[in-house]
Amino acid sequence: MAQATGAARQVGASVRRAEDPRILTGAGRYVDDIVLPGMLHAAFLRSTYAHARITGVDASAARALPGVVAVYTGDEVRSMTQPIVPGTAVGMHLMPGLKTPTFFALATDKVRFVGDPVALVVAESRYVAEDAIDLIDVEYDPLPPVVDAQQALEGSSAPVFDELGDNVIARYPIAFGDTDAAFAEADRVVGATLAVHRHQMVPMEGRGAIASYDPGPGTLTYYASTQSPHILKLLLGPQLQLAPEQVRVLAGDVGGAFGLKTTVGREDVMLAAASKAVGRPVKWIEDRSEHLSSSGQAREETLDIEAAVTDDGRLLGIRGRLTMDHGAYPGDPFPASAFAGAIVSMMPGPTRLRGLSCDITVVTTNKCSYLAYRGPWATETFVRERLIDIIARELGLDPVAVRLANYIEKGEPARMISGQSLVGVTARESLERAMELMDYEGFRRRQRQAAGEGRYLGLGMATYIEAAPGPRSDDQRASQLMGVEKARISVDDRGHVTIVTRQQPHGQGHETTLAQVAADEMGVPFEHVTVLYGDTDITPFAIVGTGGSRSATLAGGVVLHGARALKKKVLDVAAELLEASPADLTIVDGMVSVVGTPTRGLPLGEVARIAAHEPERLPAELRGDLEVEQDYDGGAGGWSGGTHSCIVEVDAETGQVRIDRYVVVEDCGAMINPAIVEGQVRGGVAQGIGAVLLERSAYDDDGQYVSATFMDYLLPTAMEIPSIEIHHVDTVPLDPDVNFRGVGEGGMIVTPAAVVNAIDDALAPLGATIREQHLPPSRILELIGTIA
Amino acid sequence: MSEPTMRVRFSVNGAAREVTVEARKTLADVIREDLGLTGTHVGCEHGVCGACTVLVDGDPVRSCLMLGVQAGGSDIVTVEGVAGDGVMHPVQQAFWDSHSFQCGFCTPGFVITAYALLRDKPELTEADVRAELSGNLCRCTGYQSIVNGVLAAAERLQDAGKE
Repeated sequence: MAQATGAARQVGASVRRAEDPRILTGAGRYVDDIVLPGMLHAAFLRSTYAHARITGVDASAARALPGVVAVYTGDEVRSMTQPIVPGTAVGMHLMPGLKTPTFFALATDKVRFVGDPVALVVAESRYVAEDAIDLIDVEYDPLPPVVDAQQALEGSSAPVFDELGDNVIARYPIAFGDTDAAFAEADRVVGATLAVHRHQMVPMEGRGAIASYDPGPGTLTYYASTQSPHILKLLLGPQLQLAPEQVRVLAGDVGGAFGLKTTVGREDVMLAAASKAVGRPVKWIEDRSEHLSSSGQAREETLDIEAAVTDDGRLLGIRGRLTMDHGAYPGDPFPASAFAGAIVSMMPGPTRLRGLSCDITVVTTNKCSYLAYRGPWATETFVRERLIDIIARELGLDPVAVRLANYIEKGEPARMISGQSLVGVTARESLERAMELMDYEGFRRRQRQAAGEGRYLGLGMATYIEAAPGPRSDDQRASQLMGVEKARISVDDRGHVTIVTRQQPHGQGHETTLAQVAADEMGVPFEHVTVLYGDTDITPFAIVGTGGSRSATLAGGVVLHGARALKKKVLDVAAELLEASPADLTIVDGMVSVVGTPTRGLPLGEVARIAAHEPERLPAELRGDLEVEQDYDGGAGGWSGGTHSCIVEVDAETGQVRIDRYVVVEDCGAMINPAIVEGQVRGGVAQGIGAVLLERSAYDDDGQYVSATFMDYLLPTAMEIPSIEIHHVDTVPLDPDVNFRGVGEGGMIVTPAAVVNAIDDALAPLGATIREQHLPPSRILELIGTIA
Repeated sequence: MSEPTMRVRFSVNGAAREVTVEARKTLADVIREDLGLTGTHVGCEHGVCGACTVLVDGDPVRSCLMLGVQAGGSDIVTVEGVAGDGVMHPVQQAFWDSHSFQCGFCTPGFVITAYALLRDKPELTEADVRAELSGNLCRCTGYQSIVNGVLAAAERLQDAGKE
């Protein structure tokens, strides 16, 4: 009985999560749950102006308040920290065409957005710290705010960073293939200006950290809510002029991140400096208003494009101008400009596009920083899939037919014009299956019938591919940024397996999925595998811990290969002890035995005990720890992708959009844990629906931030998100061993396109063509002419 | 200008507790800092997200919108008090089986809300569950797995009642 359980494959089963017992009973450990002896509390004073010179700061009343330990302003920050030159630690500042400003953790000479940190109060309690914030008097000399890209591009706009001269922070062209030839061959040119509004990640746990500087040894321990402990270590050390060995970053449970927490905030730098200055631990937990105004925002891009098309709907070439509103301070280590190129290079998607050229312009404005958000390049999918529908409408063709005319066939030896091989892409299969599930023809009949009754139904579809991790070429394998995964895997004298990963899960369930992989490979029960992460003293270096939809392939793969290597070591030792050949040994349910003779065996723990404590029983070449340090470059890699389709009904009286059905057909390779895959997909879909129907990070004409509460920044609830049906297409295995592919970002990449296309389809009889992504009821009513 | 403090007595997860806290301190902060029960999470501090939901005299409340001193004399149940003797409550068990959550930050609020809902309204449709959970925000899951968990718990509790 026990053996049967032990032998059952874990990979491919919806194994219950190892994380859940603690999470469900209130025993999770998030950063705000940690209390250190002598710990103080911090609060930031933030700018209420979008753009202003600071002419004076009077913190005397705040400093005099009982319970206040220290107040730091722009005057102090220059001596406490180093200037921040974003991106330099990982070479991002070397991007061609990019200008990089220099700034400090607190505003010194001027403020650049509503929420810009101006002062830090350190006090005995958070309540006192916030009291003190109110006592700081800042004198501002307001400057004209730069609130959108159009203003930023006007030569007369006040530079957000004086030293850059103007508000263009990056400008460069990208071109792939022969765009001129594509246009010369085209039957017609279809133009469109497509806009994506300002999104926001909004994890339920905001940012937060405890900086704990120990003046004795001169070490900083930094407890953080982060996706990337090592990037904090990499950037905070030099800020405090500490050696790498003097900085340790710890992260436990992380309450969501969605890309936001790959960045080292200016707040992190200031907090670490404050702890060093006061010689005590200092905790800062962001509140929701400062999270919404100041943590990070995303998207806000406009693409002016012309598409070269044939009369039968083939898309031959795209020419465009991409304008990105980057906000004020570039993210460190990933400035928004780093994502602009990916938007263009991913735009061909699964199509046979032959030429693509785009002029990229990234501007600074008086807004919060543009940072990574789940599929940072996702605007490419919105643009391509919206464009295809616009082309279909203009040519009088069916949008499914136009897609089929452009998407590659499975097995077609094709490359994106931007270079990457499209090997294994199942875009077409996912589209066909989605339309079958939707009963596409039947829907069109129902739609016509409903139109006769004055009801507006629409069906939208969108297809995407995601490099998760993408097919691998030699240069990609060599890239440290995403390329080589590392893990350490060992077995102890209980027969339990421990994995040390450089991933930093924040909801993905790696304690479960990586244990599933190791359990199968090692032949131990799932419960006997522990996954360790979140401690820079023990985990391998990674610029991004968990992000970029790469952990299924890379972390799954490194554990698979590492466990195989460890098993080989175990069997070599056991073979010696059992006087058998390693080839005749197996491990089942934690018991090493001779195949066919289960009585001739040793518990795995006993093998490990002998290896560790009685090495003299082994020949010299077999002595040593039962531990493996494994590297993995991603093997053959491959694409994730799929098609999302939904049916909406738009109420032309109220502008309300109701989603009647939402179908996902996806391909993420072999699934480690289907329930976790489906959770990732549904979560991404919910963010995509929220982005279209509800969410917008909004500024007024003065640059004032106007969505700083959850009454203004509307997240979807269980009432707005429909049931989401998920289907899987047969994947194309590319690698002999590892065909798990990432699934984290896909839902958020493709959903806005599918939902907007459905709304556009519904509104077509009313003469509206949608060229934007944020469609709350008021905007729907404007588009159909009900309100001005 | 030291802040006035008050002594507060209440029952917390079945045990009598007494703390002396600033009168202005929220119940959420009292629970987390003075009672050391960090399972209750603070997600928005303005009563929208529901992560801080606890039961006060049986009713789910936003502990970020209530002062600790207002809870004097009350019977408080937090997420730590839902499981009994190390055994998960059926709603927690059903959430586990249903893969209901991901990052876990919103989870305590959903556990408390669902616990109270199933106590008050054992027979539930999916539409009921969605409406009742609409005061709790989750950013990870798209809600379906949470709704499924509540429905599974309702079914199990019904079956258990019949035995």
